[in-house]
Amino acid sequence: MADDKSSATPPANNPYTQMHVVQSGDTLSKIAQKYYGDASLYTKIFQANRDVLSDPNKISPGQKLRIP
Amino acid sequence: MKKSSLWVLVMLAAVLMSACQNQRAPAEQAVASAESALTNIRDMATRYAPDQLQAVDAQLNSAKDSLAKGDYKAVLAGIPALNSAISSLKDTATAKQQEVDAANEKAKEAWGPMSSDVPKMVDAIQSRVDILSKSHHLPKGVTKDSLAAAKSGVDSMKAAWGDASNAATSGDYNTAVSKGQAVRDQASQVMQSLGMKSS
Repeated sequence: MADDKSSATPPANNPYTQMHVVQSGDTLSKIAQKYYGDASLYTKIFQANRDVLSDPNKISPGQKLRIP
Repeated sequence: MKKSSLWVLVMLAAVLMSACQNQRAPAEQAVASAESALTNIRDMATRYAPDQLQAVDAQLNSAKDSLAKGDYKAVLAGIPALNSAISSLKDTATAKQQEVDAANEKAKEAWGPMSSDVPKMVDAIQSRVDILSKSHHLPKGVTKDSLAAAKSGVDSMKAAWGDASNAATSGDYNTAVSKGQAVRDQASQVMQSLGMKSS
């Protein structure tokens, strides 16, 4: 059980992390707005998907993103 | 005639006393043997058949009382029933212990995947709660109340999970799985309240 962030299961290894399939017209900001109610938190999604995203402005329809 | 009658009475009393003394040693031995048999299964019986143990204890105490009063005949008459009750108690406690052990073994198998899954559920919730706590607005379907409930829920789930893990560590997998399942159910509810289902 994670008592702090350092011991928590990373989103990439956690099957219970929510997933979002990128739709046409999606941006990380829009996705952050949808799941967090705050577009400025898009960096949380970017950081959780660094293995598949190199640029927060470049996402493709059909991509599966982790929503921590 | 009078003298001979007295002599007969004395002889009769001597015979009776002798017969009585002859029963003392077997009665004492029988009670000691029964007590020893009961001592050997007392711990198991206390745990798995306490009511039946209480009844057998009463039978043993009755035999001891009779022994103390010198009523060896009563002691010896009651010993077969006492031994039978002890044997039955042993059978009941053994069967119950096997039943509990089997259930515990089954629970141990369930604990394996549970011990991996549930912490991940709680971690996912913790992560979402941390992020939503920084949000200026909450997403559609999530209220301040549901977020507050999720925050306190994470704390209570961690505490309950600690109890479940401790039970597993001590070998009590029945309790571990029972408590772990409660955490899993709570985690599912919290995830739903935070809208954490994949699109």
